[in-house]
Amino acid sequence: MSGVLEHPDAAALLTIARTTVLEEILPALPETHRLTARMVANALGIAQRMIAVDPSRLTALEARATALVRSGQDPWAALCALIRSGQADPGTECHAAVASLLSDLAQLRCETSAPKTLAGG
Amino acid sequence: MDEARCERLRDWLARAADDAGLAITAIERLVGGAIQQNWRLTLRRGDGREERWVLRTDNPATLAVSHGRIEEFALLRAAHAAGVTVAEPLFVCEDSGVIGAPFLVMRHVAGIAAAHRVVKWDAIAGGREAASRALRRELARIHRIRPPRSDLAFLGDPPADPCLAFCAEQERALDAAGPHPILEWGLRHLRRTAPPPIAPSLCHNDFRTGNILWTEQGLAAVLDWEFAGWGDPHADLGWLCARCWRFGNLAMEAGGIGTRAALYAGYVEAGGAVPDAARVAWWELAAHLRWASIALAQGARHLSGREPSLELALTPHIVPELEWHILREVASREAGLERAA
Repeated sequence: MSGVLEHPDAAALLTIARTTVLEEILPALPETHRLTARMVANALGIAQRMIAVDPSRLTALEARATALVRSGQDPWAALCALIRSGQADPGTECHAAVASLLSDLAQLRCETSAPKTLAGG
Repeated sequence: MDEARCERLRDWLARAADDAGLAITAIERLVGGAIQQNWRLTLRRGDGREERWVLRTDNPATLAVSHGRIEEFALLRAAHAAGVTVAEPLFVCEDSGVIGAPFLVMRHVAGIAAAHRVVKWDAIAGGREAASRALRRELARIHRIRPPRSDLAFLGDPPADPCLAFCAEQERALDAAGPHPILEWGLRHLRRTAPPPIAPSLCHNDFRTGNILWTEQGLAAVLDWEFAGWGDPHADLGWLCARCWRFGNLAMEAGGIGTRAALYAGYVEAGGAVPDAARVAWWELAAHLRWASIALAQGARHLSGREPSLELALTPHIVPELEWHILREVASREAGLERAA
């Protein structure tokens, strides 16, 4: 035991579970069930990448959103309202900052849900 | 489908087909269809002939924007009458007491629709160029159906401005889905750059690889009419050509199947107007937005607890990839606008 919870931890368990699905279960399945097994492996992979995200990256993105909207409400909802209202259109003061934030947000979201996209896939 | 439902179904079909001797000899659920259930029925008619039909009915939770089976049947009939290559619509049953939900029955058509197989199939429909022309010929036939049509009254009045109506619909979808600032960014760009309205046509609204049935000889059937409505015919072209619907075969801009040039040529040969490339480009970006909001709605079906499903749970994870391409496309279009200014 290392800390309160037993090891291997969540990330390691998801990794070995995914490897087992792909390398041991999938080859033994009939064609009709292979798509489902691939989906299981895909779900495990996404979960694995989600829990591996450094929380400080989420906090930093949220702080940038909060600074842009200067509002006490959910910063992402406020940012959506700002964009929809045209206050972040090209030529506005915050356009470049919003574009930069969205680019970094897209990067993080793809790292977890669609890493092949970042590799040009 | 349990025995009691099968028996009720047989009785209903026998009456609808005016064939007391009709028997169902096999019933098999077809794979695919996140929104609908499709069943292949093998029948022996009273005179001994064997026939294959497809029964289409709703899954427990359906997308609010999709038509029910009764409306889909009317659309299939209108398309069939206009010469669109569809499975012949046979019967529609509005009575939920037969199998638990309304259903429609159409003639079974053999072919391959699976997108990942279709985009790798060089011999498709006699070759990729012929396949592209076939796609556009079908679209030209669909787009010749214009309002008003009393048989399609359930579609409502055509939107005065299809592009702005699309933007408003997507804003509502995003409001329901929760904050997605990248999608909002793409949508704002679309609203700012919307082309002016043009005369509305019937749009299939899901005309893409995966919803077209192919054989080596040709296009066998246009499937899945549940999203059809009045709109800008370029919306169908944009949906078909959008990067997200090329299934990895990016060079083949017409749905991963053929070239854009052959697609456009086929449309003109079939009597359509020359497509407006800028308008199609707007709808290609719109396609990414629309697919993202559909994916979020499908995820919501899982999250609601009413329809737990691994496939539905994974679908929203397509959204980040769509967002990635939306951001790049918006930046590229903005740069183009700046150069032009």
